[in-house]
Amino acid sequence: MSENTEVEVGATMSPENLELLGRVSAALGAEAIIESAQAVGDLVVRVANASWREAAKACRGALGFNYLSFIGGIDWMPAPVVGGEAGDTSSPVQPAEQTYGAAGSAGRFQVFARVASTSVPRSGLTLKVDLDEESPAVDSWVSIYPGADWHERETWEMLGIGFNGHPSLRHLYLPAEFEGNPLRKDFPLLAREVKPWPGLVNVEPMPGEDVEEEAE
Amino acid sequence: MPKFEVDPAVHRGLADARLNVEIDNGDMILNLGPQHPATHGTLRLVVRLDGERVVASDVVIGYMHRGYEKLTEYRTYPQITTLINRIDWLSSFANEVPFVHAAEQLMGIEAPPRAEYIRTALTELSRIATFLLFLGEMGLQVGAITPAFYGFRDREYVLNAIESATGGRFHPNFNRIGGLKDDLPWGWIAETRESMRKVLKSCDEFEDLVVSNPIFQKRTRGIGIIPAELGASYGVSGSNLRASGVDWDLRRDGKPYLVYNDLDWKVWTHSDGDSFARYWVRLQETRESARMVLQLLDVMPSGPVMTKVPKIIKVPEGEVWVNTENPLGEMGYYVISKGATGPFRVKIRTASLSNVSIAPWLLRGVYLPDIITVLASLYFILGDIDK
Amino acid sequence: MSGGALRSGPLKPVGELLKYSRKYSLWMFQWGLACCAIEMGAALAGPRYDVMRLGVIPFPASPRQADLIVISGTVTDKMAPAIRRLYEQMPDPKYVISMGSCANCGGPYWDSYSVTKGVDQIIPVDVYIPGCPPRPEAFVQGIVMLQERIQREDPAERWQGKHWEPIVVGGGEVPA
Repeated sequence: MSENTEVEVGATMSPENLELLGRVSAALGAEAIIESAQAVGDLVVRVANASWREAAKACRGALGFNYLSFIGGIDWMPAPVVGGEAGDTSSPVQPAEQTYGAAGSAGRFQVFARVASTSVPRSGLTLKVDLDEESPAVDSWVSIYPGADWHERETWEMLGIGFNGHPSLRHLYLPAEFEGNPLRKDFPLLAREVKPWPGLVNVEPMPGEDVEEEAE
Repeated sequence: MPKFEVDPAVHRGLADARLNVEIDNGDMILNLGPQHPATHGTLRLVVRLDGERVVASDVVIGYMHRGYEKLTEYRTYPQITTLINRIDWLSSFANEVPFVHAAEQLMGIEAPPRAEYIRTALTELSRIATFLLFLGEMGLQVGAITPAFYGFRDREYVLNAIESATGGRFHPNFNRIGGLKDDLPWGWIAETRESMRKVLKSCDEFEDLVVSNPIFQKRTRGIGIIPAELGASYGVSGSNLRASGVDWDLRRDGKPYLVYNDLDWKVWTHSDGDSFARYWVRLQETRESARMVLQLLDVMPSGPVMTKVPKIIKVPEGEVWVNTENPLGEMGYYVISKGATGPFRVKIRTASLSNVSIAPWLLRGVYLPDIITVLASLYFILGDIDK
Repeated sequence: MSGGALRSGPLKPVGELLKYSRKYSLWMFQWGLACCAIEMGAALAGPRYDVMRLGVIPFPASPRQADLIVISGTVTDKMAPAIRRLYEQMPDPKYVISMGSCANCGGPYWDSYSVTKGVDQIIPVDVYIPGCPPRPEAFVQGIVMLQERIQREDPAERWQGKHWEPIVVGGGEVPA
């Protein structure tokens, strides 16, 4: 378990990750890699949008990552406070400024993926790619990792991110007539807007718990 | 080309085509689900059949989509463990472990050794409970009802052990960030040891009753073969991949978690990759888990089960990926925190989604009755597919 | 035969007998949706609980042969039309058991964008079983309370669409 909870920069990477980063940049070309970081022991590499497909090819081929763990998307926009100022305060309040996680981001949307090797223990690599904010899209991985199909459909549905070359981008989880992209931060949960958290109604001190602790 | 000069081969094809039109040999579309007992819940399968063979199939999911990833953004960390219990509802305890580990790793704390041992024991118990249901259910899918009763009966022994420790039959919500809610109750170790003996005995029963049954073998051998390399690129994991000969188990090959490295156990694989192999591997893993629990009961250290954590849990800024070997395969959480009481984004990687995504490929060319056995042998939980 | 003749007078014992037979031959259509389905399965197939001893037969080939439907688990907006449709296929008189918090009110997913907040928004419910998930014992209790209701109710009134106060397991006696 890592002592350092901060997101580390390249200079403090573990030797294994430095070695892996060297192999990634050899396979992909150093210019395709925008930034790299280590997030609690795992290597995160941010690649250019144009090299996303090449990155998958390199992973499956030269780097030997034959296993696709997942593909997902991130919306870095800070979520609006639920129910306005006087509204529901039960959900956690996130910082109001837009910051980015490990390896940074150029804008609001990112697609990230995790690949691993089934023959090398403790192997794996997280890849991130920046997207255009207006019409977020990136190349599809389906022809390289067939399992990417459903993950990309999910990301398209949940975040409205397009995948160029995907055979059929259609709804995966939601009914076809569903409108909106639920995982976008500006998609409100209507139930939260109209009704306060039911748990707030009957908050009682637990037996044996004194009032001072409650106040703290 | 002159009008009537046709290549004989093409001509034969044309004649066949005309015949086909006459007897109207169109493909048949068959819809299974979303409510069908053989689909374990709410999976919907649309199959195109030529006679009895599957030409193509499409899996329609989402009937159980509950929006976990969005809901985690509206919950605090301790509230989320309640929620994620219900993703893969058969092995709830195992779902909690990677999430709690992710929060602990970001906070830089570690649970005390006794807590890690108890976590390991309960994870393995939920694995046994999950697999016992599979071992029974799979028999049901080939027409044998008795194994299902056996499975449900033996599962109760394990659920009793989980319940007496956690208070919940299968949604324990027992993990806390930094440890466990409680210590084990008095007499738990002796009783669990007894239950594990029963489990080992029932594994022998399943071996006799199902694995060695010629009908079961006829229905499952050589059917639904997943090639190792293709399976991995689809993201198939867990016992399904090990049944295709891939010697890969995150308990041993992932980042070290819990106390698996202190135990004496082995990873089972099978080279065939068919439905039978998947059954066989799970049967062996049930045994192996029972043995692991027995070992854990012998070496359980004493001490506290909870480390010191702040009253209001705030996880420092950062992101972490934690994946574990759950009963159904690789389950992982990519947690992005911005220093608040709740996560900024949680990407949930569930095993069943990837395991089932290979189904359209796998079902091509199988006979209609084998759809059920192939799907059952992949062993998925709808909540784990749909999230 | 009119309902009135069975309700009072010399034919009353026959009416009672009919109700008695009905309550112990409930054909149950299991709509297993989520976690609760496993507990329902444990109640049906588990030798420890064994609901079939109460005359509940969980194997109708189609909803058209069922008297009782058990909605056990989370109802999503995508699933709701299918539930409504299969409920409509069931012959009258029909009973609905809503098992678990999700089917009752949305449960832990009360604020989700894809979950129906209670199956009673699409079909009328006779018995609510609270719990997340309810124990198999609670499910058995729900069946017993429904049988009590069947013994007490007037079948003619049910045919005429009379609305009954729903039963809540753990919420006291079966309402009249």
